[in-house]
Amino acid sequence: MSSTTTSPTRAAAVEVRGAHKWYGANRVLDGVDLTVQPGQVAVILGPSGSGKSTLLRAINHLEQLDVGHVSVNGELIGVRRHGERLKELGERAILAQRAGIGFVFQGFNLFPHLTALENIAAAPVATGRATREEARATALDLLARVGLADKADAYPRQLSGGQQQRVAIARALAQRPGLILFDEPTSALDPELVGEVLAVIRDLAGSGTTLIVVTHEIGFAREVADLVVFLDGGHIVEQGTPAEVLDNPQHPRTREFLSKVL
Amino acid sequence: MSSTVFRRARLVPASAALIALAGGLTACASSTTAKTETAVAAAAPAGSTIVSVGALANGAATEAKLTVAQSDTIRAELPASVRSSGELTIGLGLLPAGSAPLGFTGSDQKTLTGSEPDLGRLVAAVLGLKPVLNNATWDNLFVGIDSGRNDVGFSNITDTEQRKTKYDFASYRQDNVGFEVLKSSSWTFDGTAESLAGKTVAVGAGTNQEKILEKWQSQLKAEGKTLTIKYFPDNNSTYLALDSGKIDTYFEPNPELAYHVTQTARTNTPTRSAGKFSGAGASLQGLIAATTKKGDGLAKPLADAVNYLIKNGDYAKWLAAWNLSDEAVPTSQVNPPGLPVTNS
Amino acid sequence: MSERSLPAPTLPVADRPPVGVGAGATAPAPLSRQRVIPLRHPGRWIATAVVLVLVAQLAHGLVTNPFYQWDRFQYWFARPAILQGLVVTLEVTALSAVLGLAGGILLALARQSKNPILRAVSWTYIWLFRSVPLIVVLLILYNFSALYKTLSLGVPFGPGFVHFNESALATDLVVATVGLSLNEAAYAAEVVRAGILSVDQGQHEAAAALGLPKGYQFRRIVLPQALRAIVPAYVNQLIGLIKGTSLVFYVSLLDLFGEVQNMGSTYPTDVVPLLLVATGWYVVLTSVVSVVQFYVERHYARGALRTLPSTPLQKLRAGVRGLRERADRTHLGTVKA
Repeated sequence: MSSTTTSPTRAAAVEVRGAHKWYGANRVLDGVDLTVQPGQVAVILGPSGSGKSTLLRAINHLEQLDVGHVSVNGELIGVRRHGERLKELGERAILAQRAGIGFVFQGFNLFPHLTALENIAAAPVATGRATREEARATALDLLARVGLADKADAYPRQLSGGQQQRVAIARALAQRPGLILFDEPTSALDPELVGEVLAVIRDLAGSGTTLIVVTHEIGFAREVADLVVFLDGGHIVEQGTPAEVLDNPQHPRTREFLSKVL
Repeated sequence: MSSTVFRRARLVPASAALIALAGGLTACASSTTAKTETAVAAAAPAGSTIVSVGALANGAATEAKLTVAQSDTIRAELPASVRSSGELTIGLGLLPAGSAPLGFTGSDQKTLTGSEPDLGRLVAAVLGLKPVLNNATWDNLFVGIDSGRNDVGFSNITDTEQRKTKYDFASYRQDNVGFEVLKSSSWTFDGTAESLAGKTVAVGAGTNQEKILEKWQSQLKAEGKTLTIKYFPDNNSTYLALDSGKIDTYFEPNPELAYHVTQTARTNTPTRSAGKFSGAGASLQGLIAATTKKGDGLAKPLADAVNYLIKNGDYAKWLAAWNLSDEAVPTSQVNPPGLPVTNS
Repeated sequence: MSERSLPAPTLPVADRPPVGVGAGATAPAPLSRQRVIPLRHPGRWIATAVVLVLVAQLAHGLVTNPFYQWDRFQYWFARPAILQGLVVTLEVTALSAVLGLAGGILLALARQSKNPILRAVSWTYIWLFRSVPLIVVLLILYNFSALYKTLSLGVPFGPGFVHFNESALATDLVVATVGLSLNEAAYAAEVVRAGILSVDQGQHEAAAALGLPKGYQFRRIVLPQALRAIVPAYVNQLIGLIKGTSLVFYVSLLDLFGEVQNMGSTYPTDVVPLLLVATGWYVVLTSVVSVVQFYVERHYARGALRTLPSTPLQKLRAGVRGLRERADRTHLGTVKA
């Protein structure tokens, strides 16, 4: 499962090719190629400013790449092929693509004026994937799954950080995505709350959903990841199984980084 | 006097410029001159109309019912468009606050009464037209004449040479201004600028009397003396300032002054007149005139209608009803000499 | 961890220790069982007394000074002419507030749009209408109908299909409402824009990441949160508008204040009571708006605060309950003593 070669018969869950992104003169992504197979858990590591978040946000087109492209389950994201060129998709089509990709933010970004239940049920109803009743039932199931069955009517500000992030994960799951992206999901949490969120993500791993997690939790990566990617200076320095990258890093930058965070 | 009496008059040319601007903004609107309303019940063509003057005056007038016969000769002088419309739209600049006895809301608290609307009604009766009163702000009165919204302004408008560049006049009353002071004041205006040295005087903005006052002010300034001019948004606030001693005197149209003196006689701050002055300056008797758009041909029939009323005695009865007999003129003239342009 | 080894008394909640030396006058309870005696604030009492005396004096002066002519105030307060003006004020304010807000939302959206032309038009509109005095807007609109008697709908610069008789369409009320709405929209646009900007960027991202349709994002996610910032600012704007309607005499429409001025010229001796009548009505209107504002803000505070502020009724109930409890406690205390 740690292979990075594309299977010819089956589309990869995520395929990033030649990703380049500049912020002004600052090069954030410098030719990233990444393949994640369906059902895999990929953990992206790297020092701050290495381009991890940008790469993740490019996968659901929250960031538009300057050069390169992303496809999810073989479908180009945010662009379409027009002969030998790529053309930007309309907003509506991009939104429809995003609905199939879950995203969990570092800062939770729950809608503060909606209850936990409403946060989870909003998107399936708004995108026409479920009726109000169905969405409600699903939301209650998901809340139970993240251990917050009793918080359905709580507003986000009445919840702890860990609880909010679990609601945010439930919200991402509500659209039954085949792929969920986690952008440092535990970095904004008090240390004692990190565990409950990681536990929820751990439960998701192995459920068949493809997960890509940007994190600094090396222990979590070792335990759960199928693929560990080390990003530095906008390109992938090293990738492989946890055993390869974390226990036997080949590249000096990887070794240096691991020595700091471990 | 005043031109304005009625409240703050702002500069007419500025308003006109704005209208030109509005015209430039809208390319897709079309301009037609067709009147939108048709006369319903104008005075019976060969008959006469009963005009009630001094009605609902809240004590400012003695009501009189005048029977006015239509003059077909004068009606024949009217521009065809006005005659066929059957209406005379009379502009008044009495908003937001009126000014007794010239024009104000009557004691039924809704009908417009006063010497100016009454004369408008009398003249319309002579011309066999239905009077339509168009009350607006002082600014909009003039813009309304410019734009054709009003056929004529009956609103204590002074005949001035400057206004003659845009308007025609048919005079109908003397224009006198006066100084109102508290009865307890010992000051009297002797007809010279000197007697105003050191005084604080209120005056309506944009009026003729303001021009006269400004001339005196610069004259006094040259002699090293001061004259402070104060402006208030309306008569109500000016009278409050007079009561409270914030101003020494209010330089206003004489009819207003005379009326206000009778009104305050029984209050604890009675006032009196401290002297009169011609609204056209020391050398010329000022005149109040019906005002029409220059060259529209209405001034002559209007003057004839006023002369007709003078001859049949209704004019005198009208003035008497409003206690304005002192301001009578012997005859109505078209574009008589007015307040000179070179004033300041 | 500390060396202090104080006994930890477990007190039943209802039996809280008496204040100060109260209960055991002769033998004070051990320090650990006493409540702290609150600090006295004599300055506060003196300030309170001074303020109360001043307020009483002011009220006395208001009532007894003949200058205010309260009998005439009573006469004028509900006169048909005044009520008619009040109706005009309410109509013009309500229509302009709604149309102005709607226009403001559109302008704010245009201002945030990715289309540079829309942005420029919106910016220019706001710039223009915040610069041009309302009186000038009203004056132009008022005379507009005199200059252009018909309005046509049709091909721009080409033939028109539908013609309106403008003087029939543009009544004084319509002109006033349009003028105030045009003006109001410019200010509302900035209020709305500030509200939208106050919504965290993460909210937009979360909405986008969920694939919520654009309209839904604005109506259900951004706007409800923006309204928390918009409501107080817009209510301020609205109260300004209530009084701002006094300018509609420029289009020959008399609102509450216009009627007061107009009646003041017919009844010069009643000017002061008439002004007080206008003041009274404005106080009533502003109070009503403030009450509505409280409940609207409370509605949009859902989720923003851990607990919603109590309504006055709830406060009253809580106050009564508090007094009763205190009374009970005192009562029990005396019984015990």
